[in-house]
Amino acid sequence: MTIVIQIIVSFLGLYFGIGFLFGIYFFIKGASQLDELITESKWTVRLLLVPGAIGLWPILLLKIINKSRINS
Amino acid sequence: MGVNYQPVLWNRNKKIYDKWIVISILIYLLCFIGVTIITNNETSVETLIIRAFGTLAIALLHIILAIGPLARLNSRFLPLLYNRRHLGVSMFLAAMVHGGFSIFQFHSLGNVNPIYAIFTSNMDYGSLTNFPFQVLGFFALVILFLMAATSHDFWLKNLSPKTWKRLHMMIYLAYGLIILHVFLGALQQQPSIGSIVIMSLGFITIATLHLATGIKETKADKIKTQHIENGWEYVCDIDEIPEDRAKIFIVDKERIAVFKYDNKLSAISNVCKHQGGPLGEGKIVDGCVTCPWHGYQYLPHNGQSPPPFTEKIATYRLKNDNNKIYVLPEALAEGTEVEPITF
Repeated sequence: MTIVIQIIVSFLGLYFGIGFLFGIYFFIKGASQLDELITESKWTVRLLLVPGAIGLWPILLLKIINKSRINS
Repeated sequence: MGVNYQPVLWNRNKKIYDKWIVISILIYLLCFIGVTIITNNETSVETLIIRAFGTLAIALLHIILAIGPLARLNSRFLPLLYNRRHLGVSMFLAAMVHGGFSIFQFHSLGNVNPIYAIFTSNMDYGSLTNFPFQVLGFFALVILFLMAATSHDFWLKNLSPKTWKRLHMMIYLAYGLIILHVFLGALQQQPSIGSIVIMSLGFITIATLHLATGIKETKADKIKTQHIENGWEYVCDIDEIPEDRAKIFIVDKERIAVFKYDNKLSAISNVCKHQGGPLGEGKIVDGCVTCPWHGYQYLPHNGQSPPPFTEKIATYRLKNDNNKIYVLPEALAEGTEVEPITF
């Protein structure tokens, strides 16, 4: 059981650690790559989106990559 | 519905609503703290905060879960539905204070990682009554975090309404985890009949409201249209639809809303693009079909949101034969213009 718990806690730490780094990227660039309307919005909106980016980073990363492929 | 994003789309009603949320929360906390100090003055400040915010979060969660079915059962509750988002975020903040202080008080003073300690301080995972209830609360808090963090309209648009809705339906999983968290906590810490009774009553109320709404929806779905030749289906007489309102019908397994306005009739999909609200329960405001949930608008003759907005829904063809309304069940592409029928 201890090993299972260690795996769960390590996974959560890794997931939210990467999420935190992605959140910074999302604030600076990612949000506007995903939705152009963000460029016309205040920076406080992007700040408000950071927790969501931390929590859902795998989905958002895939969406940004797919969008970049379509646009290129 | 917007051409750019705002942190919060404030209006007068939202400000009043938020003011009431803050006032109610403060009154609740003061009452809880006052009663606890009077009845048990040995309670530590940390315990007081944990309990005050924990019970606050549960109370808010029950109100949030009740608003949806209440609004489906009675339109007078719709203003609460329109403003529910801020209540959800307030509930998450209360739960976070409860969880944060619990981790601080029970798990952060040792030499073990506090998150790891949540999982290992009680290893009785095989027991039904002594199951580590804090783990359940932890996972519920993670779900509430994801929901609060994605409550902005940006997420609804960019995750797609379907994915967003699925994510936010996880509130019921969080609710289940919270119920177990409270029941097990009440049993293991300080056996409290009062907590169990109040929580049970809350659960019964929420379950009953959802059941009543389900029965009402099922009845509405059983309203059958009558099939006639050439694919046109009779739905109702013109007089049966009130002015600037709609009647909802199930045609070809889809809900459609037939609106009557300015001596004209138009049929559109009943499902709002925003959060799947029932457009047919809304009304015509300024010439637009207005969703009763969050006020999203569509032009009845083409299912398009008025410029500069871009949402579109499916439209349907209608015909009038001696004041009897017939609909062609095939949905037209979203935003397709259909000449309204006149009478």
